[in-house]
Amino acid sequence: MIVAGRQTAFVFLIVTVALFYIFLEMARRGRRIPIRTFPAIAAIPEAIGRCAEMGKPLLYTSGYAMETLSNPDQGPQTLASISILSHVARLAVKAGVKLYYFTCIQDSLPLVEETLRTAYLEEGKPEEFDPLQIKYQAGQSPYLNAVLGFMQRERPAANILMGGFYYESVVMGEGGNTIGAMQIAGTANTHQMPFLIATCDYCLIAEELYAASANITQDPWVLGCLRGEDIMKIVILALLIVGFVISFTGTTFLIDVLKR
Amino acid sequence: MAEVVRRELVYVLTAVVVIIMIVDYFFAVPAISAIAGELNTWATVISTMALTLGAVNIIRVHSRNVRKRTPGVWYHSAWLIFIFAFVLLLGLTNINNPSANPIYKWIFDYSYVSLGQTWYAITGFYIASAAYRAFRARNIDAALLLIAGILVMLKNAPIGEVIWAQLPVLGGWFNDIGQMPAMRTFLIVAAFGLLAFGFRTLLGRERGFYGEVGGG
Amino acid sequence: MSQESIWDRLQRIDRRVIYWILFILLMIPFIRPLSLPVSIGPQSITFIEGLRKLKEGDVVVINISSGVSAWPECLPSLVAVSKVLIQQKAKIIFWTSFVDGHMTFEKIVEKVPEFKKLTYGVDYVHLGFYTGAEPAVAQLAKNIRSIFTTDYKGTPIDQLPIMKGVNSANDVKMVISSDTGDYCDYYIRQWRIPYGVPLAEIGIAMNFSAYQPHWQAGILFGVTAGARGGAELEKLIGAPGDATITMDSINTSHLLVIVAVILANLGYAATRRRK
Repeated sequence: MIVAGRQTAFVFLIVTVALFYIFLEMARRGRRIPIRTFPAIAAIPEAIGRCAEMGKPLLYTSGYAMETLSNPDQGPQTLASISILSHVARLAVKAGVKLYYFTCIQDSLPLVEETLRTAYLEEGKPEEFDPLQIKYQAGQSPYLNAVLGFMQRERPAANILMGGFYYESVVMGEGGNTIGAMQIAGTANTHQMPFLIATCDYCLIAEELYAASANITQDPWVLGCLRGEDIMKIVILALLIVGFVISFTGTTFLIDVLKR
Repeated sequence: MAEVVRRELVYVLTAVVVIIMIVDYFFAVPAISAIAGELNTWATVISTMALTLGAVNIIRVHSRNVRKRTPGVWYHSAWLIFIFAFVLLLGLTNINNPSANPIYKWIFDYSYVSLGQTWYAITGFYIASAAYRAFRARNIDAALLLIAGILVMLKNAPIGEVIWAQLPVLGGWFNDIGQMPAMRTFLIVAAFGLLAFGFRTLLGRERGFYGEVGGG
Repeated sequence: MSQESIWDRLQRIDRRVIYWILFILLMIPFIRPLSLPVSIGPQSITFIEGLRKLKEGDVVVINISSGVSAWPECLPSLVAVSKVLIQQKAKIIFWTSFVDGHMTFEKIVEKVPEFKKLTYGVDYVHLGFYTGAEPAVAQLAKNIRSIFTTDYKGTPIDQLPIMKGVNSANDVKMVISSDTGDYCDYYIRQWRIPYGVPLAEIGIAMNFSAYQPHWQAGILFGVTAGARGGAELEKLIGAPGDATITMDSINTSHLLVIVAVILANLGYAATRRRK
């Protein structure tokens, strides 16, 4: 019934989803699921405070991300970035800091506009929202060009780079360093993590970007999912250890099962 | 009320599409495969249509600058709008093969290509200054990272072999074996993170990108 | 104001000085080539070995998911691979997910003189631009004609002899993906795993580490890493080209970065000891 070569993957999927659901229910019923603080998320209020003190704007950008939300690896990073944007926008509005959002992902524009508009509305300052705070440029190089130009002209006191970055990460990071901005970044693209870690003050790496919304909201549903993820990682680790031990016997039983 | 219905409709639609795609991937049900194929085609079409969203945003932003004569900016915006319209019209002169238009081809070959390559080349300079600034052996971990980085760089550049024949071997070890566990770990954890994110979105609990953040 | 020692200054070299030195060092090889030998990695060897297994008439897809800005890194490998495919008398279908992909195709045809002996539409074709990321790649695997109805010049696909009997992953012998992002992952998930189509990656240097696990696991039969990978392929096929020339600049730039980092750390160690 299940397509050959995908049976083990299906079992893994069911087990993972079941774990998510179990811990989700436990969290909903009041069981406390602790999550460590992400320094990058904890530094956001500090970054916004810096902007308020210096009277400078805040730059937020979510990377090239292949210029589309429909990309299965980059799209979720952009969506996670927009989740964090919601939190950042509310803090910025509260502090009276102007936030500028740069993007080259055209299909994210309605989401971003809605997110920012809602943030302003919920802080009781809907009249301060200007759709032109959202700057779109078509293409990776024009987008990078626009961000660097903004950094040089407006000298934002803080830059938040969250999302699916490509080569622009190191340029933006270093450009931000040139103007002395505080920089907070986050990406799940392994090839850009080193550059963001080297150039930014704080960085979310890999799945921390997806877990950031749990850190911000402390939503039990989200925390439950995270706990389920952690359990699955332990299962994978156990499989690795078992496979390593079995490999000395010369048998390929585990490999055959995993390939099924 | 309409707002709530609109948002819930988005999540219901998302859930339906996700279930169809998952069933199609794992079970070879012809009817579901046909629907999944259609949905894939729709996704491609929507993605193409989304290109116009960006164009609308550009025109909106820059035409406002021109209308308001924003100091220091309006003439750049006017130029952008002019070039936008000019290249669009040039492309429309031969919709199947715009490159057949020599002016269009010239703009692409000698302006777009050159500028794109220039910006990509800037990465090298920024990496050099970022490496100089960031690679400091402040502690044991940083020192080890620094040594590994230098060895990999010398493996990549043929001059490493000229300096010492074993340098590429050492750098190759880091590249081919040393970093492999870390890369595989990132692949696995990122996959679970994606799965959890998708699960939350499916249940309508990942609402942050729709402007709802509890607590704030 | 206390005077800065040489050790303090070593840690705070103006970045503009570094940029100028780098610029000059990058220019030197063009005036006086270094021509240092390039050793070949196993990923490039298996790449060429995989291409050599092709038989006459086998259909190969080259997916161009890298823009013109990535030409220095990806184009030499694309040129080298195209030469081998032509030597193996394979039929080549190009398609691209980048709006400037047709420029890369035209550049490849320009740089590979062997294309002049071939007939467009019979021996090779460029179907054009597609968008939609992984859903589009999945649809291409099932039904090419649901995405492409004409080639990039507007000729209906059914009028192209090369496309006769070719409509899905089952009809394609091999895929070569040149990308700067995630398209190789899509082809792994939608072509390689479900249909078993052999797949190789022409990538930029940044992506090499990410695709090493896949090559080691046998999912990819070859991976190239930017200009270095291109130089290795050129050496393997005995046709030095742009990537081989670029290696000289890579030598000088890497040396500068290493020297700058060492100087900064010398300064750091000296000032720390003083404190």
